[in-house]
Amino acid sequence: MSGRTANPQSGAPPLSDPANPPPPQFIHEDPIYVGLTHAPLDIPGTIDKVRTPKAGAIVMFAGTTRDNFNSKTVKFLAYSSYTPLALRTLQRIAKSHITPPSEEHGGYSKIQKIAILHRLGEVPVGEESILVVVSAGHRKEGWEVAEEVLEECKRKLEVWKWEELEEGDGKEEGGWRSNREGVQPVGGPGLGCCGGRGH
Amino acid sequence: MADTTSAESESFKILYFAGVASFTGTNEESLPAPLPITELFATLEKKYAGIREKALNTAMVTVNLDYVDIEDKTLVIQKGDEVAIIPPGMG
Repeated sequence: MSGRTANPQSGAPPLSDPANPPPPQFIHEDPIYVGLTHAPLDIPGTIDKVRTPKAGAIVMFAGTTRDNFNSKTVKFLAYSSYTPLALRTLQRIAKSHITPPSEEHGGYSKIQKIAILHRLGEVPVGEESILVVVSAGHRKEGWEVAEEVLEECKRKLEVWKWEELEEGDGKEEGGWRSNREGVQPVGGPGLGCCGGRGH
Repeated sequence: MADTTSAESESFKILYFAGVASFTGTNEESLPAPLPITELFATLEKKYAGIREKALNTAMVTVNLDYVDIEDKTLVIQKGDEVAIIPPGMG
């Protein structure tokens, strides 16, 4: 146990050096466009990636950093990823929603194009961490697929969220947020701060 | 990522993320190969007491970017493989 560092930042993702961020990773294989980047997400540019004359609707979901969690003040979120695997997962999720033309959709595909981008590193309050953008012949299919894709990303994507909290009474600096355990405090066991661990 | 060790030829690389990396205190290290996948969690528990209960039981494992079954008796991690412990997603 002596090897364990007491540095409270040890659990935080390596925040990128703003002057020298890791290169973005994109796959653009029309009709899909997916990527992971440390840069702010480009909303108009991403919408343009799914534009097509066959679409009557473009639906976009933008997930943004909220300034609070469980009545605590959030300073920022930071995302780390297993980038090569996460990129592959994004590609697989996107492709799975590109289905062949069918009678049900008037001889067209359910949706036309899809873009999914996830930002990595620090994402300040109010900025986007994820964009899901879908173009479809009709809005209903667009809404449906965009929601399904977002939920799939949250379940499957190899990207993890660090929540940096405003220091309250000393110890609470942040934690990894996952769907099973709530916030995992920085120091691992013994430093429980935020509840929700275990069952 | 460019971190290399002298034992590289007889080792595999293991990556830790999020809460698992908090527990180990490192994002990446080398462990001796070959290692049957069924012994991976016990090996890590020996090195990081308590990690199984606190972090591994809810995690999945990939070898060279493919998810694997940690009870697969036929699977042996080879030198040069990239293994990753994948904690639960964001939900």
